Amino acid sequence: MKLVIANKNYSSWSMRPWIAMKAAGIAFEEVFVPFGSPLGNDEFKQRLAAYTPAGMVPVLIDGDTQVWETLAILEYLAETFPDRRLWPADAGARAQARALAAEMHAGFAALRRECPMNIRRPVRPRTLSTAAQHNVARIEAMWGEARARHGGPFLFGKFCAADAMYAPVVTRLATYGIKVSRETLGYMEAVMALPAFAEWRAGALAEPWIVAEDEIDWPTVL
Amino acid sequence: MTLRLIIGNKNYSSWSLRPWIAMKAADIAFDETVISLYVEGSEAAIRAHSPAGKVPILIDGQGDREVRVWESLAILEYLAEKFPAAQLWPSDPAARALARAISTEMHAGFVPLRQQCGMNMWRPPAKRDLSEDANANIARVQALWTDARTRFGAGGPFLFGRFCAADAMYAPIVSRFETYAIDVSAPVAAYMQAVIALPAWQEWRRAALRETWVIRKFEYDWPDVKRLAADAA
Repeated sequence: MKLVIANKNYSSWSMRPWIAMKAAGIAFEEVFVPFGSPLGNDEFKQRLAAYTPAGMVPVLIDGDTQVWETLAILEYLAETFPDRRLWPADAGARAQARALAAEMHAGFAALRRECPMNIRRPVRPRTLSTAAQHNVARIEAMWGEARARHGGPFLFGKFCAADAMYAPVVTRLATYGIKVSRETLGYMEAVMALPAFAEWRAGALAEPWIVAEDEIDWPTVL
Repeated sequence: MTLRLIIGNKNYSSWSLRPWIAMKAADIAFDETVISLYVEGSEAAIRAHSPAGKVPILIDGQGDREVRVWESLAILEYLAEKFPAAQLWPSDPAARALARAISTEMHAGFVPLRQQCGMNMWRPPAKRDLSEDANANIARVQALWTDARTRFGAGGPFLFGRFCAADAMYAPIVSRFETYAIDVSAPVAAYMQAVIALPAWQEWRRAALRETWVIRKFEYDWPDVKRLAADAA
């Protein structure tokens, strides 16, 4: 099984299935196709095309089957490795986990725009628009409710696909010094303490490529 | 205890159409509650059902056992698990993986197309000028449909042969292509006709054409509101 991903520093979509597979102990070969300066966009597209016609990352390649879109990859993994319990075992909890994951998949545009994932950026607080503040409030409410109901430390007790979907949000809240509740901080610490998270972060810190659009202090790169 | 689906206006709410048509086409019984979007009190009415503040919402059971599911994709996954005999996803794993990939791409994508061609079932079909991005979306959708039909569609007229959750996810796009008279290939037109011929589609459309709530931001000819007759074929 191969997982095609892009930069660990910037590619939030790549991080989601990667951390899910690592945390669940699913073995895979990582195919790394970076973007950003000094590489050009055409070069990225060409190198990606050598692995997949999907034209986007991440892509999971399992024999003849290519799966794109993060949520679809997570569903495929959950079915292929049922003993790894990528979704909660209880049907009600599973439905809630999928709703949280789907809301992340299509939502929180303001927060994503104002706080792009940039793991190597030193922590500096940033002022958010009202729309992004609403995103943060909604995320904190969902996390808080799920953890209160299922006991933590992760959203549904044990680490699951919903946590993988929100892992890049954890990095964003940390990187941009967003003020959050103690409960939210407790959740963020649980995610950041995962060996898989530390491994991803170490990879990100070692990367040389720069993407200007994701550097909010541009032309300064902190 | 039956299932309950909270939805928005049938004329405009594309997200509501998705689980609704999936349940109808799969013969899953449910009660529906319609809440008009963008009118006074509608936000509070929706929030009373779900803190996400969005339709559709599926409610299953009550009391301690009640499960509330929001987000169309999550609702479809819940239904697929609860009613395995309905085969809401294709049974072949490779087909199922593709069905989920294209459903997910719909869930978060095609923003220019969605913005420039809002679902509006009562609008008489007429072309609109579209941006390059929206036209790229249309090309991508046609390519996805054609690829699914070519690889997995042999058993019937739908994306994966028989009607499945992926068809439900794209049903509002079929409506938009029709309403905005989008030029499509012959195979895509044939697929659209199969969706439009579904009794569930016809039932939804009849109800949409009879609705009285008008939402200005979805009426591109405002202050004109062009409407098909309520009994239009």
